Amino acid sequence: MIRVLLFARLADLAKTREAEFECNEQGICLDELIRQVVARFPALEASLAQPRLLFLAINQEQAWLDEQVNSGDEVAIMPPFSGG
Amino acid sequence: MSEEKGVSKPVRIQTEDFSVEEETRLLHGGNGGMGGIVSFLGTARDFSRDRDVSRLEFEEYAGMAEKAMNALRDKAMQQFDIIDMRIVHRIGTIQAGEQIVLIIAGAAHRGVAFDACEWCIDTLKQTVPIWKKEITPTGESWVEEHP
Repeated sequence: MIRVLLFARLADLAKTREAEFECNEQGICLDELIRQVVARFPALEASLAQPRLLFLAINQEQAWLDEQVNSGDEVAIMPPFSGG
Repeated sequence: MSEEKGVSKPVRIQTEDFSVEEETRLLHGGNGGMGGIVSFLGTARDFSRDRDVSRLEFEEYAGMAEKAMNALRDKAMQQFDIIDMRIVHRIGTIQAGEQIVLIIAGAAHRGVAFDACEWCIDTLKQTVPIWKKEITPTGESWVEEHP
């Protein structure tokens, strides 16, 4: 199981802050996981259509679209930051 | 690594307000070699993009946000010839006029303290997973640009 966390505008659109996704032993590529997130939360389609504008993290470390995600990982999908 | 706890930790994310005077005192720490202390204090405006703003709501990615802020301080300490730096960011509900973020740098001379402070707030906005929502009389919206 992969735990996906959504933040700020993305959490509002999906109406949830987290979701779990099935994953086999081989794991899946991060861009495929994002496709699955969009399939489950169609309201995110426009926002996730250009994942390069998002900040992604696996287990709280910045990650890139071609990275592998494994069962037990925590994946964060984040819109641009606006602290300060 | 520092083992300081609570309010004395140099990097903190918290809901409660902070005291600039207390942070300055902790930064200086009686260090006679410090000749310049520069601070950046971010406060909540009551307007944004021609609309009234009554309050802000800040959300963080707990754990990662503090890690990113610690990395920011470490980088500033390496990159600039400063003696110490403290970063405090509030989350949760912040009313217009209240304090949001404090970055404070101390150095032997003022120039690098100014540079470190400016670099730190600019970089914080791009690298720390914190988000700001503006609540206006007509609705609310997330901010996603870096003015």
